[in-house]
Formats: sequence, structure tokens, C-alpha cells
Amino acid sequence: MFYRQSGIRHRSYVSDSKLFPIPMDRNLVLFLFLLGLAAPLLIDTLYLNSYVLPWLIWTAAALGLNLVTGWAGQLHLGYAAIMAVGAYSAVHAARFGIPWEFALLIAGLASAAIGSVFAFAAMRVKGLYLALTTLAMQFVMDWVLSHVPAITGGSHASLQSPPFKLLGQPITSDAGLYYVAFGWCVIVTIFVLNMRRTGLGRALVAVREKDYAAAILGVNSLYYKIVAFATSSFIAGITGALLVVTFFFLASPEQFSVTVSVQVLAMVIVGGLASIIGSYLGAALILLMPGFANSLFSATADFLGWQMDPETLAHIPNAAYGALIIIFLMVEPLGLGKIYNNIRDYFLVWPFDQMKK
Amino acid sequence: MSSNRESEPLLECSSVERRFGGLVAVSGVDLEIWRGEIFGLVGPNGSGKTTLTNAITGFYPPNTGTIKLNGKDITGTSPHKVARLGVARTFQNLALFNGMSVLDNILLGRHIHMHSGVLRTALYWWLARPEEMANRKIVEEVIEFLQLESIRHELVDGIPIGLKKRVELARALVAEPSLLILDEPMAGMNQEEKEYMARFILDARAERGVSVLLIEHHMDVIIGICDRMLALNYGEMIASGIPRDVIKDPRVITAYIGDGHGE
Repeated sequence: MFYRQSGIRHRSYVSDSKLFPIPMDRNLVLFLFLLGLAAPLLIDTLYLNSYVLPWLIWTAAALGLNLVTGWAGQLHLGYAAIMAVGAYSAVHAARFGIPWEFALLIAGLASAAIGSVFAFAAMRVKGLYLALTTLAMQFVMDWVLSHVPAITGGSHASLQSPPFKLLGQPITSDAGLYYVAFGWCVIVTIFVLNMRRTGLGRALVAVREKDYAAAILGVNSLYYKIVAFATSSFIAGITGALLVVTFFFLASPEQFSVTVSVQVLAMVIVGGLASIIGSYLGAALILLMPGFANSLFSATADFLGWQMDPETLAHIPNAAYGALIIIFLMVEPLGLGKIYNNIRDYFLVWPFDQMKK
Repeated sequence: MSSNRESEPLLECSSVERRFGGLVAVSGVDLEIWRGEIFGLVGPNGSGKTTLTNAITGFYPPNTGTIKLNGKDITGTSPHKVARLGVARTFQNLALFNGMSVLDNILLGRHIHMHSGVLRTALYWWLARPEEMANRKIVEEVIEFLQLESIRHELVDGIPIGLKKRVELARALVAEPSLLILDEPMAGMNQEEKEYMARFILDARAERGVSVLLIEHHMDVIIGICDRMLALNYGEMIASGIPRDVIKDPRVITAYIGDGHGE
């Protein structure tokens, strides 16, 4: 009904390859974008900076990991380590007096360099072996962070991030920090959206699906694996730096531990491999659901007057959250993005379901 | 159709041999394909036809022997480089990318003519779009040529096998190869689809100037469209020449039909 395709005729290749060929999709995205711009006016500062801002940052991270895992099909369990490289490079560069614009760029480049090393592992091994190799690199990075005081100041130390400035403008207000996160998330999203309609995206999917067929078309799969790792790492680096700058305000090793790597991978898988909307939904579920389940549960317990020891109170929401992930993946193994697409496809032809192919 | 006899053939294989452990899959094969030729390759199952194509395209380089393309030695060159030298192929069991639309699959055939980089993607509107649109135009010509207009936005997964074969041919053709290797393009097709495909192959040569190495079991097709052919059995050449001579060769009849039925 709202999404109708009939009557939409593209008269040029440019118009046929628009990001959102259906006007309803375009309007919806525009609406969400405006909502994002207006968020500081609409949402209480506390919620804005403790829920919406980290959600956007982690969405950018999930999109970066999705690029290498979803599009290029390379399992990656060391993503947090790459984010750490970016975070520490940026903070050190900024402390050294380099302007933040360049510090962020350095973060991206440093991460891309280290991430390409991961890619050299990817050239030799595939699938679960690659997962283990990248996991090993995560542990190496964990060790380096806790044992090289020159980088982190030691295992229990944290590194203060210098005041954040962009284009000479100090950014300290809550709204300002939010806009930085929002802007970065939009940039990453646009990049990935564009990637889907260019040769780069096609080549990555080709490498993922059938590398021998890719090869006979002239796609050098080793090269594109490295490109995927490097690009994803570049995104990870800047995302890691922004996470420290806008959310944590200081960098410490446990922010980028192996648990975090697994969490980002969970965002990607729960959201849906190679799905952009899925990365948003997956990040929301993994990041916000524990807190939400927690408050929902304690509110219910209060309301019903249940007396419970704090330990039970802490564990039941966790169990419910785990069960929720399992239920989502059982209902739709292709992730939340696929659930969204199913709903969209339903409305595309509603109320004429028999038109569906 | 007379072949354009130049000083050197487009493809020249000399005494190509490929072994897998103790198994000799292809041995002592000599083959020349001239520009503008449609060359048939036949043989019973397991006779080494696909192995020979894999040797040419670089998947399984020959253990001995040389392969020359346009006089240039390409023995052992990796597949993605062979593609850039002007060889395109289709696969016996189809090798389309199921998660992609027909259009994206065919656009991938243009990969060697495009610059697919990160920076171009990041600055799509300024750097990538002109190139994408120019290549889209070329792809659309082939889509029209192979009559795939109505399914261009469908996922490859959901279309019938006859169309899948045509999409794969389209993907190979848009690369503008000088040599097109078709590995059983008519397997599993009915008579009408076979005739369509045979017409497309002839038109591809006439309009796009490709030379074709055609692997096929349907003898009527081979006789109908091939200029010359080669028959393999147990990895060895048993006959080569003009199709109507080759199919009368007693060894070919024995290999295909068995003893006791020959003339």
C-alpha cells in the first residue's frame, strides 16, 4: 500500500540505481535522518548520551565488521583489538598536540595498517580457522595493551583523552558530542549503502559466494580480502577513537577486550549478515536490551511486590535477554534485518498478498 | 565458415598433460583455435574436457606442455589474470552468485574493465557513478541481445535453469573476451532452449567477434555450429578435424556408443 512499486518508472540508469528507488523508502530514511538531527531537542540529555549516542557509535562499528564478515564473508573475532588500535593512536596523537581531525585520520590509518596484517592471515586460512587466527590476534593485542606501559600506561591504568575539538571548535556539550557520533554513523552508513551498488560491493560478494567464479571474472580474491579488512579496520579505528572521545572520555584496555569483539560480532549476526538496517537493529538489541530487560524486570517485580535477592534480580533479565536472541535467530536465522525486510515485503503488496512472488 | 588464418592461432595448446596424483586426466593434447572459430570439444564423461578448460583458465595448470594465448605463454597464469588477458568462461554446473540480482551478476562480468576501489565508492557521486553508468549501458546491450530484460532485477536464485545459463553467458560476454569457453551450455535444456542457445552463440561470434571453445554432448549442436572439433577419451585425443568427419571416426563411435554398434 504505502510501498507500492507500480507507477514508479525509471527513465535513466542513474535513476534506476538510486539508493532508494521506492519513494516510500526514501521518505522513511529522510524522516529518520531528520529525527536524528532533532534528537537533542526531543530526547532527554541523559538518555541521549547514555543510550542513543553509544548505539550510533556501535552501529558504525557493527557496519564496519559487517563489511568484512557480512559482505566479504571473512569471520573476524578480533574487531575490538582493531578498535583499540584506533582509540589509542588517536588519543596519543591528540596528546602529542596533533589536531583532532588528523588524530582521527591517524587512528583510521593505524587501524587499517594493523587490520591488513589480519588480512594476511585471511589469505591462508578460511572459516573457523580464520576465526581462531583473528581471536589469537585479539589476545595478542590484549596482552600488548596490558603489558606495554608506553601505550596504555599499564594494565590498570587509563589514558585521559584531551579536550575534543573539531575545526577549532571545542566540542564539549552533550548535543555536540551526539552530533559527532550521529555524523560518523551517517557517513559510514552512506559509504556502505554506496558500496552495495558499486563494483567494490559486487566484488566482495563474489569473493564471499564463489571464489573460483570470481577469479574467472578477473576478481583477485586475495586483493579484495585485504581491501575488505583494511576498509573495515579503517572504520573500526575511527569508531574506536570516537567511542573514547565522545563516550568513555578515557581509554583503558578492558574497553576493547575479547568480550567486546564477541559483542560486535553478535550485533552483526543477530542483525543479519550484509544488512545495513540489521546492523542498526542488532546494535540496539545487543547494547540496549540488557539494560531495558533489567529495568523492565525490576519494575515488574516492584509492581507485583515480589521479594527477591539482588542476585536473582540481576540474573533473570540476563537469561531473558539470552533467550530473546535465541528466539529471534530461530524465527529468522538471517537476522533482524531480514525480519524487517519480510515486513516491508508484506506491505509492498498489501492488501493483495496473492501478488507476492 | 572459413577461419581467418593468421600467422598464429588465438589459443594454442601443445602436448598438455595434467595429472591428479596417479591419475592422468589429460595427456598429450594439442589444440589450436583460430580467431572467429567455434571449436567443439567432445568426449564421454571423465574424458578430460573440463580438466583441459581448467588447465587453460589456470585453475589446474598443466604438469607439462604449454598454453599460448595470442602467441603469449600463459601456462600456469592464475585465473584472475587469465581473465584479464581476454578469456571468459561459463561453468558446467553454473557459477552464478545466488545472493545477487541478474543485473549485478552480469555487471560483475565488467569487473576487468572497471576500477572498483574504496575511494571511488566513498565518493560515489563524483568518481564511481560515471563509470558505473557507462558499464551499465554495455551490460544493457548484452541483456537486450540475450533477451533478459524482464528478469534483470530478479535474484538469480529464483530463475529457471535455462535462463541461468543465459545469464552466465551474458556475464561472460560483457567482459568482451577474445576467447569464450562454454562448458556444456546446453546441459539439461529442451530442444527449443538448445536452439536459442545455439543461435546466441552464432550471433555472439558474428556481432561480438569472439572465438568459442564449446564443450557439448549434443552432437547435433556440435555438427550444426562448430567449424572444427576435437574428441577426447580417457584424457587423450582420439580424433580432430571437421565435425562431419570426426563423428564418423570409428574410435569416436566406440567411445560414445560402445563396441558392437559401430559400422
